[in-house]
Amino acid sequence: MISDTSPTEQLNITAMRETLQQHKKRMSLNLKACAGCSLCAESCFLFELNDHDPRYMPSYKVLNSLGTLYRKRGRVTREQLRDMANLVWRNCVLCGRCYCPFGIDIPAMIALTRQILREQNITGVYPHSLGEPEEEETN
Amino acid sequence: MYDQIVMAAYTFARGPMLWAAALILCVGVIYRIRELYLLTVRKEKRSLPATVSATTPTLTPEERTLDRLARIQQSAFAVHPVMFFVSILFHACLFAAPLLALGHSLEIYRAWGITPPSLPEPLIDILTTIVLVCGLFFLIRRLVLPRVQAISGMADYVLLACVMTPFLTGFCAYHQWFDYTTVITLHLLAGNVLLITLPFTKIGHMVFFFFVRLCISSEFGPARGSRDWKA
Repeated sequence: MISDTSPTEQLNITAMRETLQQHKKRMSLNLKACAGCSLCAESCFLFELNDHDPRYMPSYKVLNSLGTLYRKRGRVTREQLRDMANLVWRNCVLCGRCYCPFGIDIPAMIALTRQILREQNITGVYPHSLGEPEEEETN
Repeated sequence: MYDQIVMAAYTFARGPMLWAAALILCVGVIYRIRELYLLTVRKEKRSLPATVSATTPTLTPEERTLDRLARIQQSAFAVHPVMFFVSILFHACLFAAPLLALGHSLEIYRAWGITPPSLPEPLIDILTTIVLVCGLFFLIRRLVLPRVQAISGMADYVLLACVMTPFLTGFCAYHQWFDYTTVITLHLLAGNVLLITLPFTKIGHMVFFFFVRLCISSEFGPARGSRDWKA
């Protein structure tokens, strides 16, 4: 489900850091404000559709993608970025309906993660528009 | 020797550390508000084409009732009623107990000669007990629920301990459990640590919550909001 056009290519850490730096203040504030209450969970229809799997929770997706990128200051592997791509593309359709009691702008953070991943030539596709992931792989 | 160390810690926590903590808290909160303010801009007034009505469509009383019901049904109150009530109770008591504690009022009177309002001690004891029980609820929730577990790290537990310790030690001091001087010193130290960490950690949602909910325009916010995030 992940498109990595240059899997052997070295990551452009500088570009990643630049993008992170550009949005640092707002994003780090958003990440800091997350109290981990998990009240955002039910606002995601994919969480509801996937038997309340925590990996579909908006906060989980953000903390394990952009959160990791900020915490590690871009020092991540290509494999980790591919996992993040799964989180922000396969587990999220960016419908913008997620709700945070503290008003954290979750879609903006997912969108930024996608931007960072695209800059590294990693993109994902929505499985929902293509059928089940398993079907897609066997075809 | 032990008594001397405790007394030195007590004097330090009641004097310079308290001043430093209060200063850090004030500067930290102002810094956070300024940071939030700079990250936002005054919302632009958007003009709609003449063919589009700029006002909300007029709803019949029945539609209005249905609209309200739908909003309630989607709110945290309906989705997580227990968490909703525990959170409100916890936060209300979290502020009321320390701000209206008789012991704290007496300390302020001794220092500055002014008497802030206070509640009877048994009532403060009840409020403190509520905070402790709610804190235990949050801890169990974090340990047991897979969805909360999935987004919990060591920092979450440390911060919960930071919040609960002043209340636990205050409760023990009021009931004269353990060595009073040690417990009250721990109470002072824990309270100061909480004040210092407040603006710089997740507990800072105290500032973020009000700013975002009241100033930023949002579909879910209670107020329309006059500001928007910078692009």
